[in-house]
Amino acid sequence: MRETPAAEALPSSPIAKARLYLVFLLFAVGFGYVIVGLALRQLIQTGDLKAQYDTQSRRVVLRPPSRGLIYDRNGYVLVENRIRWSIKADLLALQPEIHRKYLALIKAERVRGAPVEFDKLQDKARLEVLQGWLDRVWYVIDEVQPNKRTGARPRPVRPDDEPERRVNAADLRKHLRERRALPFVLVTDLAFPGSGRALRPEEGQRTIARFIDQFPVNGPISLQSDIVRSYPHGSLAAHVLGYIKDTDELPEKVNELADLPMDNLQKLQYTGKKGASGIEQTFDAVLKGMSGWELWTKTSSGYNKELVASNPAQQGSAVNLSLDRDIQCAAERALAQIKDSKGELLPGAAVMLDVNTGEILALASQPTFDPNRLADRVTQVYFDEVDGKGGWMNRAIQGLYAPGSTFKVITAIAGLRHGIVDWDDILECGPSFRVGARDFPEHDPAGYGQVNLEKMLAVSCNVWNYMVGVRLGQPRLAAEARRFGLDTPLLTHVSDLVNGSPYELPYPAARTLVVPDAAYKQRNGFGPWTDGDTANSSIGQGYILTTPLHMACVAASLARGETRTTPSIIHDPGRDGRHVGAEPIGITEAQLTALRSGLERCVTEGTARTVRIPELPYAAKTGTSEYFKNGEKAHLAWIIGYAPADNPAVAFCVLVEGQLDTSTWGGKTAGPVARDMLTTWARKAEAPAGAQPPSDCQRK
Amino acid sequence: MVWAWFIVLLATLPGLWVADLLTDSLAGTNLVVFISGAAIVAPCRRLKRWQAVLFAACVGFLFEARRPIPLGTLPFLLAGLSIFLTSNRILLRNTPLVLRGAVLCNTLACTAWFTAAGLRAGAFAQGDLGDFTLQLLIQVGFAAAIALLVFVPLALIQDAAMDRTGLPPALESP
Amino acid sequence: MDKHRQGATASYVVLALCAVVWVVLPAAVHRFAQEAFAEFQAPALHLAGKARDLARFWELKSRDKEEILAASRDLARANAALELQLRRYEDIRKENVRLREMLRYNPPPEYLTVVARVAVRDSSTWWQRIVIRKGSDDGVRAGCPVIFSDRVIGKVAVAHHTTSEVDLITSPNFRCTGFLESDEQNRIVLITGAPGRGLASGRSRVTAIPQDYVYPVGNAPKVTTTGLGGVYPAGLILGHLEGGQRTTQDGNFRESSLTPTRDLFSLQEVTVLVPKYPTPGEILLEDQAQKRLDELR
Repeated sequence: MRETPAAEALPSSPIAKARLYLVFLLFAVGFGYVIVGLALRQLIQTGDLKAQYDTQSRRVVLRPPSRGLIYDRNGYVLVENRIRWSIKADLLALQPEIHRKYLALIKAERVRGAPVEFDKLQDKARLEVLQGWLDRVWYVIDEVQPNKRTGARPRPVRPDDEPERRVNAADLRKHLRERRALPFVLVTDLAFPGSGRALRPEEGQRTIARFIDQFPVNGPISLQSDIVRSYPHGSLAAHVLGYIKDTDELPEKVNELADLPMDNLQKLQYTGKKGASGIEQTFDAVLKGMSGWELWTKTSSGYNKELVASNPAQQGSAVNLSLDRDIQCAAERALAQIKDSKGELLPGAAVMLDVNTGEILALASQPTFDPNRLADRVTQVYFDEVDGKGGWMNRAIQGLYAPGSTFKVITAIAGLRHGIVDWDDILECGPSFRVGARDFPEHDPAGYGQVNLEKMLAVSCNVWNYMVGVRLGQPRLAAEARRFGLDTPLLTHVSDLVNGSPYELPYPAARTLVVPDAAYKQRNGFGPWTDGDTANSSIGQGYILTTPLHMACVAASLARGETRTTPSIIHDPGRDGRHVGAEPIGITEAQLTALRSGLERCVTEGTARTVRIPELPYAAKTGTSEYFKNGEKAHLAWIIGYAPADNPAVAFCVLVEGQLDTSTWGGKTAGPVARDMLTTWARKAEAPAGAQPPSDCQRK
Repeated sequence: MVWAWFIVLLATLPGLWVADLLTDSLAGTNLVVFISGAAIVAPCRRLKRWQAVLFAACVGFLFEARRPIPLGTLPFLLAGLSIFLTSNRILLRNTPLVLRGAVLCNTLACTAWFTAAGLRAGAFAQGDLGDFTLQLLIQVGFAAAIALLVFVPLALIQDAAMDRTGLPPALESP
Repeated sequence: MDKHRQGATASYVVLALCAVVWVVLPAAVHRFAQEAFAEFQAPALHLAGKARDLARFWELKSRDKEEILAASRDLARANAALELQLRRYEDIRKENVRLREMLRYNPPPEYLTVVARVAVRDSSTWWQRIVIRKGSDDGVRAGCPVIFSDRVIGKVAVAHHTTSEVDLITSPNFRCTGFLESDEQNRIVLITGAPGRGLASGRSRVTAIPQDYVYPVGNAPKVTTTGLGGVYPAGLILGHLEGGQRTTQDGNFRESSLTPTRDLFSLQEVTVLVPKYPTPGEILLEDQAQKRLDELR
């Protein structure tokens, strides 16, 4: 074979050669461009491109932390977290099944000769497949299904079934729109699978166990466990503890994600919880904890594929309340026994304080609610039910009431301090007292005759107070009430533990508290102040408005011989017993002794004698004030006091709102609640140090 | 002879049972004594192609029938391998080459069933690819070693059976 | 070149077609194929089990006569004591039935027991199984619990005519609920089998251990069945909880491993508890077997 010289392969004419070189040059430039471009991407832009890849192919999933626990002062759990098992469907794994269903539906539609709406059929296929799985789940967990013994197959859902047995089409659409990558929840809480059935805990466990033990393991249906808020004592202290609601704002851990372009990464999050009321709300910053995160790669259709990195969530810190579970329990149980003629609960509130520290041992309000029923979501039905009874209001700190005869303590102190009356002065008290053109009646039509300070407190003599009050004048009376803090908001944060809410409990009465004077009456268009108004004020009627907690603080202050008590709902063993703005009452020892002895006589022989506790002498002052309910007169029953009488440790206040047709009296109506709280306290106080007597306050 | 493949299969069965018994005695570990891949090599030298395919598929089904492996994985793979081997008999022309073939077939088949079973058990959903690879390497390495050890006696039995059925001898090295 | 070479492409095409046909075939055909091959091997499995029994028989036969005499004497005593206990239990059983009737208490599922010898054991990364020499002919159904004395061994995965495959509690296909010893609140924990790591065989994982569970000092706490799920009777031992506990990824629980109470691979005999009426789980399992094969299509 003859070799072809290279020269022969090339064109010989100069023009052709030039053309060829031009082509070579173009190729060279082209190659150069490609190579330089590649090098640039490989060597110089690699970081940027990787970041771009990361952001496009990865996502962060944020997991909410579990909230901190809430304990009472003795370490009993008041709020905890319960394991919740839910059943979820992996939509990615179900895709082939859904697709088969979709094709079958299209075929069926074509056979029918109907126009095929592909989007609708896609939705329908998805819904039907999920419904099929939900039917199977119910088949396993439902114990009451008939004919199981004959080996009946899972039955399809029926129109009259509970909504939990049906896959909600709207929920599914929302899920696909917003969190396609996460599994779809078929059953939210396996222990309580249907809203209609309030299961006992052991029945809940049975449902969970049936699913775990029986449902086939490998499949698109998975079991997931998470934590939900649980209030083991049901409605106990519900107004203090509060409840939680869903939130999309999760506490993030940005620091540990710092090496990722967090802003550009797609974020997905589970719904978190935040406090909506009570301690859950005001101490949310402490309780909420830190979210965990997972970094996933994702598939082109948006599902999670592989877990790249993760960081666990951190549980929130615990909060120790000053409440005593047993006393709280006693208070609520006693309140729940007070009913009107129709057997309906009378609204009311009860408070017990530690005299020295001001810590609140019990803070009850009735009617109440069960926070467990709000832990998942607030249903309109339950909201309306509680709202209809007036159950959302915390009457102990938000309810504004005229203090009635319990205010006479303050009138007496004002009289003593300003020398209007002394402890041993005897005033002649008839059946009424005339101020201007109006007779102000005694509550005993016969009158009390000769009354000194002690007797006034024991029998709650009105005329004594009219006389002293009118001689004092409203400015001095109002000043005394203010000295005892009746117009000062309570429960403001004293520690710097939490910022965010100015109060320890949400929305306690603050600006709405009223200690009336001439300016107040004028400002509100009620006309000029009269002596009649002063007489009314002196027995705690008229315009004055205060809360049960304020009156409990007055009792605690009296017990210590001071003017102010700073209450707190948070337990702090290091409290020094100093109270903001407190000063000595400013009366002589003899006057104070007479005052206290009058309060003791109120229990032994006076208006509170029906609720005497033989083994525990205590001091109290009852009150029955008038208020207008729906334009008609009704009565409020009050009792305040402290115990034991000789060495006070606890102070209390109970209020009950009487109805139009009920006979409501301070000692008779409110007294038993105070008695039950005191007996429980005494039983615990007698127990040896460190030991807890057996409790009748059990987990529900 | 039409039934030659079945007779070879019957001759192979004791070998497969022995492998099961060995697996039984190794039950404390994760190792499966897997010889199904190696078992098809010697018959593929002498059986007709359709016979070899039938034989391989049966061997595959026998392994899968009692184990949670997606049904059909191993039979079809082994059938494919047997088509390849029967059409490239030159690759099995002498003992070292046959031994190499046995090891390769066994490891390939082992990889297939291990991965398929892993897929079904949701191994990839858990995302621990490193551990999966390690497990696979251990299992495949063991399968290769077993193929080396067991192939010669197994092939002798199979060859004896094939001799009895009067099949032509295998292609020897040219 | 090999003379068969030319036809190879056609063969591959035919194989591919067969594979497609296989996938499209009805599930019943798949099941039939699987069952046929399983049944084909069943005699061999029986043979293997019987051979082991025979070996054991000869081993026992070689024992000294005096040794056997002593053993039988001990056995007779134990037998007498047990007979006495049995009579007492009969009384208790009757009382129990009466009390249940009074309380209208939903009785726990009744079981028929099937005692079965172990034929072979089969363990790999993805499954931990034993094959027993009793099958659907003896009443065994998929999904039935398998125990030995008071310990849980596993659950029947597949029941053939004369043999059954049992997923051991270490198998990734196994899942059940349990109670932890010393957890007074009796909170449910989840026991699942997990794929083995390295050469170690699979183990069971115990998850959903409450964060506040206190691991008792001294002996490892027992994990027992709950009896709530309708499959396992209550109080059977699943194993012992191991000490090293980790917090789970979501931070809500802890998890640990389970040491089975007995070497699961040295069992000679097990008992299958067959519920008198099939549980929904069994029925679903049957349906799912069908479905899984459908999915291949």
